[in-house]
Amino acid sequence: MVLAANGPAAASDPDNCLFCHQFRGLSRFDAPTGRIHIFAVEPSYTHELRGPHARLACTACHPREEVSVIPHREVSRVNCTQVCHLSEPDGLERRFSHAPVAEMLGRSVHAPQMLHGLQFAGGPLLGQGQSPCLYCHDEPVFRNLEALLPSLALRGTRAFDRCDVCHAEQVPVDVAYYLRHVAARIQPARPPLEQAQVCGVCHSDAQVRQARGLSDAVASFVRSFHGKAALLGDNSTAACLSCHVRSGQNAHSMLARSDPQSSTHPNNVADSCRSAECHPAAQPRLAAAGVHLDLPTQRASLEFWIAAAFILLTLGTFGPSLVICLLELGQIAVGRHHPEAHDTHRLIERILAHPDGRTRLTRFTVSQRVQHWVLVVLFAALAITGFPMKFADRDWAQALVQTLGGLQTTRNIHHWAGIALVLGFMGHGVYCLVELRRRARRQTGVSPAVSYWRALWDLPMMVRPSELLKGRHLLQYLLGLRPDPPTFGRFSIKEKFEYIGVFWGTTLLGITGAMLWGEQYLSQYLSGRVLNIALIAHTYEAFLAVIHVGILHIVNVMLSPHVFPLSPATITGQTPLGELAEQHSEYVEDVARQLGLDVRTGEAHG
Amino acid sequence: MQRLRAVPGLLLSFGKRIYAVAVIGVTAWVSFLAIRYLVVTLMVPSPPPPQVTGIPTRLDRAVLDTRRIEWAGVASNENPRVPPAHYHRLDGWIQPDPHNNCTQSGCHAPLPHSRRKEVRAFLNMHATTMHCGVCHMTSERTPLPLKWYSLDDGEACDPPAILTAYARLTAEDAMRPSAVQSQTAALQKELAGLLSLAAEQSDGIPSLSELARHIAAVSPTGEAFGQLVDAARATLPRHFHGSYGAKLSLTDSARGDPLLGHPGTAAPVREFLQRGGNLTPADRIALLARIHPRKRVQPLQCANCHSPSAAVLIDLAKVGYPPARLRALSQPAVVRMIQQTYEGRPMHLREFFTSPSPTK
Repeated sequence: MVLAANGPAAASDPDNCLFCHQFRGLSRFDAPTGRIHIFAVEPSYTHELRGPHARLACTACHPREEVSVIPHREVSRVNCTQVCHLSEPDGLERRFSHAPVAEMLGRSVHAPQMLHGLQFAGGPLLGQGQSPCLYCHDEPVFRNLEALLPSLALRGTRAFDRCDVCHAEQVPVDVAYYLRHVAARIQPARPPLEQAQVCGVCHSDAQVRQARGLSDAVASFVRSFHGKAALLGDNSTAACLSCHVRSGQNAHSMLARSDPQSSTHPNNVADSCRSAECHPAAQPRLAAAGVHLDLPTQRASLEFWIAAAFILLTLGTFGPSLVICLLELGQIAVGRHHPEAHDTHRLIERILAHPDGRTRLTRFTVSQRVQHWVLVVLFAALAITGFPMKFADRDWAQALVQTLGGLQTTRNIHHWAGIALVLGFMGHGVYCLVELRRRARRQTGVSPAVSYWRALWDLPMMVRPSELLKGRHLLQYLLGLRPDPPTFGRFSIKEKFEYIGVFWGTTLLGITGAMLWGEQYLSQYLSGRVLNIALIAHTYEAFLAVIHVGILHIVNVMLSPHVFPLSPATITGQTPLGELAEQHSEYVEDVARQLGLDVRTGEAHG
Repeated sequence: MQRLRAVPGLLLSFGKRIYAVAVIGVTAWVSFLAIRYLVVTLMVPSPPPPQVTGIPTRLDRAVLDTRRIEWAGVASNENPRVPPAHYHRLDGWIQPDPHNNCTQSGCHAPLPHSRRKEVRAFLNMHATTMHCGVCHMTSERTPLPLKWYSLDDGEACDPPAILTAYARLTAEDAMRPSAVQSQTAALQKELAGLLSLAAEQSDGIPSLSELARHIAAVSPTGEAFGQLVDAARATLPRHFHGSYGAKLSLTDSARGDPLLGHPGTAAPVREFLQRGGNLTPADRIALLARIHPRKRVQPLQCANCHSPSAAVLIDLAKVGYPPARLRALSQPAVVRMIQQTYEGRPMHLREFFTSPSPTK
């Protein structure tokens, strides 16, 4: 860095223009046109050789006869195809011109005559006579070399000391410059997000799109899997040029999609996806995945209706739970109490007076509590690492991903937490099967099939038809349509539905997550369009899970006045007495009976 | 007595109810936002986010009131593009001055000079370093009473860190290469801190913060420290862009605070802005006189500062400019250029070839 700061020999300001032009205020505001004219240039560009044009004297582009006097004469527009002279490290000058690029552009979809005719909402972007190259190009800067060669981040330009033994004088080569130049050229000149910014100048302008009949391709890109990765700072993800430039060509030879030679022509697009740096092991059908899928504008698509179905699912599951949650809080707000809660409370106190009472009233076993906390940790890890991808355009998402160490690290955490959750889910399945077997063995006098069937039916989290009626009963009570609430056993209908939600959610998220992770493998068997559906299912189901847990479950176990700041049931397994009396009176009575207490009087039987 | 005993219970019950109402409100609102998000993102087409389209496509009046670092997407990109009509990089930008009454009143643009083609950009160059009043307001004292004020809060502040650092690096009795190796860790810490602060005050100059990081990392008695000090001394002037996070201003005679506008002129300014187009020429002149009670009839001229004898009127050394920087500002090429420009004679660029750049 220090050597770079000193300025390599080839940095070019032979006319000492930076004497004045390094000052940022060397500008003026033209009130009649509302435009700012900036005459300042960034001096570090030249001093630190930050781009290929740093080797050019200002007079390579601005005619010497116009700028060699102060005040300058009227300066004519720069012609990017004129011949200039590059300063070489050996002191020689090399003639150079962008004329070949102009020829390429003339044969592309971005031909200069088309660019000259662009009209933008809000008026022209360029001044009269300015080159249309400026729509895409500003002063070119070498990409961050450290990203490509991490060791340079530590060694700086000292890494080139060895090169200079020969290349300083005998074979003069500015090694640092050429390395940066080559490094800049073997990757796109701009990272993915900057490419979107460049393309967005025209492709997100309403008037340009209307005149040319274009969709907002940049908007749909940044909402895609690739675009969100770009927003989150992933420079390895696919960007505009990854797909729209043919292999071996450059951005100036981009063709219309309808051209059979175009990289995005239906016959060629699969090869674009399957390039060595993108999805090399994929089958051509991967190309059916929606890189520009924009649901609001594609309402006739299957994907739109699947997303709509998930919203209905969210409304149908989260909605009723929300209503019950709010109504229960409303009972507290108006001071309404369970009319028989006092009796149950007294019964609980008598149970607790029994030596085994406290143990019997523990609703959650140690194993269940451990499983719950494992689920808490994994769920939080998945939400923290997954939601930035959904909300990639939010500042907090970008900050969070950076805090976690970048998108790749965030993804790794997400993948491994997902694997752990699926393994934990399978472990819970084994736990359930063991419990089922234990209960089935207790059944006597029936066939094994019937015993297992009964044991399954008796599992504590099983929802029975009578409980569905109790759910309706609860709603009527909370709305004041019935004087007494329903009675629940060890687990209420709310808890059972939450449990079922975890089963459904983990299964769906696990399957769709694995599909998205193994997109190349999946393309061996299924169309890329399945990835669209998997992505929609994954993201909408995750959203449902997060709002259910993040809002309702948190209110129920943390924020509710009954349990604030945290329900002890999550740690000790014991439910607060008030909640036990109002919501689990059947369970309390069962425990009382097991302890030989009279449910009505609380006295011990004879 | 019994009633008194019941009070804590009643208060607790009341608090519990209020809390329940609050939880209901928050839960309902957050749920509404969540569901609305789902529906809106499916049903309503939306443009790309600001990170993509928020970078200005035009350099117009609006961007004069923003810092470059506030332009959307800047923080998350390597080299975000500049507005299309401007080719050269804009890694730095004019720092807006929200405390300059002359521009904040709505009367003058932050780049106010626009009349004389020959000098308007040169004059605007100074608007990033000093308040309008330095040249345009009268002062009873000579040399002018000057202070730096912070662009963050408009309050008096220390000289910019980059000037202080350059002063330390170029002082006759310190930091000479031969003496460097004996410098103490305290000096190293001071220099690293100043350079780091300088980078921050200029809205982030990567090479300055990098230099600070390197200086802080090496041994203060080692050869590397000496090399880094030499590098800092050579490169620091390249960062005198006029972006210091602070500007010079006159001070008011009563309290010595920065004078950021003509005192007591809020009412006539309002009147002018309301009636501007309907004023007769005579009324206009009278009102402008009320708005600018301390206006200099003849603003300070370039040569008042850019001359070896400038200190008589404007003592920049007193406000933290190191001698090396003052020599650069008053070097013969600059003085000659100013003189010839005012005389209407063009100056040929080759005359600069032999003149050391202020960056050197």
